[in-house]
Amino acid sequence: MCGIVGYIGDKDAVSILLRALKRLEYRGYDSAGLAIIGDGVSCYKDKGMIDNLQKTMPMMKGKIGLGHTRWATHGKPSKENAHPFLDCEGKIALIHNGIIENHMELRSQLLKEGHKFLSETDTEVLVHLIEKHYNGNLEKAVKESLKLVCGSYAIAVIHADEKDKIIAARCESPLVVGVGSGENFIASDVAAILDHTNNVAYVMDNEVVTLTKQGFEISTLKDEPVSRPIETVNWTLEDAEKGGYKHYMLKEIFEQPMAIHNSLLGRIPDLTLNGFLDGQFNSIKIIACGTSYHAGLIGKYIFENFSKVPVVVEMGSEYRYSEPVHEKTLVVLITQSGETADTLAAAREAKRRGSMTIAITNVVGSSITREVDYTFYTRAGPEIGVAATKTFTTQLVALYILGITLGLIKGTLEYDKIRELTSTLRKLPRYVQSVLDNAEHIETCAMTMVNASDVFYIGRNINYPTALEGALKFKEISYIHAEGYPAGELKHGPLALLTPNTPVVAIAPQDHTYEKMLGNISEVSARGSPVIAIGLREDTDLPKLADNVIYIPEVPPFFSPIPITVVVQLLAYYVARERKCSIDKPRHLAKSVTVE
Amino acid sequence: MKAVILAAGEGTRLRPFTVSKPKVMIPIANRPIMEYAVEALAQNGIRDIIFIVGYKKERIMSHFEDGNKFDVNIKYLTQPKPLGTAHALQFAEKEIDSDFLALPGDNLIDPKEISKLMESEGDNSLLIAESQIPSKYGVVFLEKETVTRIVEKPEENISNLISTGIYRFTPEVFDAIKTIGEQGNNDLTAVVQHMIEKGKKISGIYGIGKWVDAVFPWDILHINASAMLEAKMGTAGNIEKGVTIKGQVFIGDESVVRSGSYIEGPVVIGKGCSIGPNVCILPSTSMGDNVSIQPFTMVRHSVIMNDVQLGSSSTISNSVIGDGVRIGSHFATNNGEALIKIESGYHSVNDIGALIGEDTEIGDQVVACPGALIGAKCVISSSNKLEGTLPNRSMVR
Repeated sequence: MCGIVGYIGDKDAVSILLRALKRLEYRGYDSAGLAIIGDGVSCYKDKGMIDNLQKTMPMMKGKIGLGHTRWATHGKPSKENAHPFLDCEGKIALIHNGIIENHMELRSQLLKEGHKFLSETDTEVLVHLIEKHYNGNLEKAVKESLKLVCGSYAIAVIHADEKDKIIAARCESPLVVGVGSGENFIASDVAAILDHTNNVAYVMDNEVVTLTKQGFEISTLKDEPVSRPIETVNWTLEDAEKGGYKHYMLKEIFEQPMAIHNSLLGRIPDLTLNGFLDGQFNSIKIIACGTSYHAGLIGKYIFENFSKVPVVVEMGSEYRYSEPVHEKTLVVLITQSGETADTLAAAREAKRRGSMTIAITNVVGSSITREVDYTFYTRAGPEIGVAATKTFTTQLVALYILGITLGLIKGTLEYDKIRELTSTLRKLPRYVQSVLDNAEHIETCAMTMVNASDVFYIGRNINYPTALEGALKFKEISYIHAEGYPAGELKHGPLALLTPNTPVVAIAPQDHTYEKMLGNISEVSARGSPVIAIGLREDTDLPKLADNVIYIPEVPPFFSPIPITVVVQLLAYYVARERKCSIDKPRHLAKSVTVE
Repeated sequence: MKAVILAAGEGTRLRPFTVSKPKVMIPIANRPIMEYAVEALAQNGIRDIIFIVGYKKERIMSHFEDGNKFDVNIKYLTQPKPLGTAHALQFAEKEIDSDFLALPGDNLIDPKEISKLMESEGDNSLLIAESQIPSKYGVVFLEKETVTRIVEKPEENISNLISTGIYRFTPEVFDAIKTIGEQGNNDLTAVVQHMIEKGKKISGIYGIGKWVDAVFPWDILHINASAMLEAKMGTAGNIEKGVTIKGQVFIGDESVVRSGSYIEGPVVIGKGCSIGPNVCILPSTSMGDNVSIQPFTMVRHSVIMNDVQLGSSSTISNSVIGDGVRIGSHFATNNGEALIKIESGYHSVNDIGALIGEDTEIGDQVVACPGALIGAKCVISSSNKLEGTLPNRSMVR
């Protein structure tokens, strides 16, 4: 989903457009750009944040212009693929939100006619198509061009020879005109222009709007004029952004059933990854940083269990100091942003040593995807909160799918077992949903942790990494010291730290480690520490041992890290909220770590 | 004009399909039913919409977000307990300062009816429809175009004119809600009756356009068939050679339809589905995302939700299958007339197959009798016959 804005009036277009783009930041984006009409059309665009764009951009002056934020779906995020796009002569600039379905055939036709393309995007064909049809009248050229286009779009176009107008059009993507006095706006999103006006007119499908300083005119693609009333919107920006939630993090936690659903789409019918992998590898190395590293640790249990191939997990920043990989090592790199510097360096190194590489990332076309042999997208959608939530659980989904693939290739999973596993995968969105339905109880449990000095998370087997992730979530947003431990290691040291003011979160689904976990919980409560146990529904042992019990649905224990993660995310969130912490932007932390 | 959509209720009569989502999120031609209401409002230029949410509200919020995708601005207000439609509407009071529309989020409404209501004379108006089963609605008595009386769910068949629950109100309705609320009644029908008694004129706008709502699980089939007629067409995904597609059919991205399959529209198929080879899908069937159908299975006039797996050589018709249901091979739904028990009442339903709640697992060679209402998360082993009503989490050995 891209954001588009256009301005025409008497003020400095650059500052107005940049501000409008910042209003769209919350939707998530990976690149941004501007085009301004001054003497001619000047355009500046780049990958990365709007703040960076602002710092690096050259002086641009003008009173008419277009601005765009892009979240890549086709074609990687890069300077070339960012909008606006210019025609061959650099006179027309265009921005677009949507997908042009017949861009391949249009592109080959335009290439034959001598047009020069600089990007891989579907959008670029539009600007060349308009150039081809331009005969001194931009509106006419836009209409002629759009008649040839199949797909969804909201576009805005300017031309260096028509310095008094912006032409915009819509089909199945949002587009709204903002009406000011002596100035007008066009945008994909009312939030972008609310700083300047609350008078708007909505553009409908197959309509084209001509925007001038004084006003706007709407007509259909077939040239029939349309009259459209101006409406007054009376909402504030705060309302819009978080769609009813108090924080992005909470919004994103609650989006997990949908995110997991999306990451499963189309994956189960094609478990062989298009036949990409062969069974030649005899060891697997997983490389990742931060939260992704915890996903990697869980991945180790999954891969070893399903494919019986030994797995080593390395932190990206430590990888270079370890024993090198070789041709028979399958290297799996996990990075949400696809830009994590340490993980990128590891990918290059692995490639250089001849290993087969697979990336698991959320960002289409990000840098990592160019370094590896195969990319598995998690499709969690943009994540604004700095603490990773839905991007983590969808990484786990990716690892389960990949694990089943490896088992299939290695012949270590029977057909019936695979059907059983994929059936569980299909149920994940609803397992997570039922944890979310229990949020109120989790909130009550969280209240017992608000004044803790330290918190310990303990788990065994595949839920040891879940304990690590729980502790990381907790400390990064609530600023309370938290540690994750393998439950069996407590008595080798940390037990000395337990006091009545150090709550312990014990993860105890009924797998083969369950009895031992019960023992560990007794150990802890004997030291007077309050215990919050997380167990399977209908567990009757835990209430006897723990102060509070949080139940998750009766999922096969091997898949329990996903619903349990959602529990620990909510614990962290409610404690941080109660402590009035800056949840979406914890101090000193950044979303994507692009330095080593 | 602003609009208030009442979406806080669970829809208990639609159980088991409301186990994990409110009734307004039940998929109709693969879109939550509430999307149709939002769309009808947006088409009439109503941009400010207040959602009164409650039961599993996050499902609604995750789907609609801030409303930008739908050309509207959404404000969410929470009714913490399901205490009736009037009680729900009361939460919108602070957002309303002039005439507004109030409507439920669980029906399919022709946008033209909304515009009629907006243009109607008189301050307070109510959209009226005809119904064959007036006993499940508020029944309305009209004199010329004025409502003279409204009776909620009468047991006798006194008139077939019913209230659609779609209103235009002035802010004075909030005073009536308070008065009625103090008497311990929280139903909008009672509020309207009270306003009539107080001498307020309530215009009855007689709708002739499309209006269907979902009250009982089998209504999902009718409303789905009706919405399907206007669903988008287009086939994405991978359609193998030797697949026959006739009529109005939509197939989503990353779906695979394998050779020998036959699809006759109107049919809507979601994303990431795996169908066939040799599967037959007949009219008025909609299918969610990630659905898998094994060879030699026939599906007709049914709603199959997300993540469903249907085994080979099965026959499914006039059925609603919830999210994540897994059915083995040689499953058959028998069609016919059935007496179905919902809450404390029995309902006679024609042409009905099976109604199966989410995540239920069914073995091989199971037969479902007409009107079998199977709860969520049941486990049914092979070679069984399903009839009557099974509560959630039942085990049938």
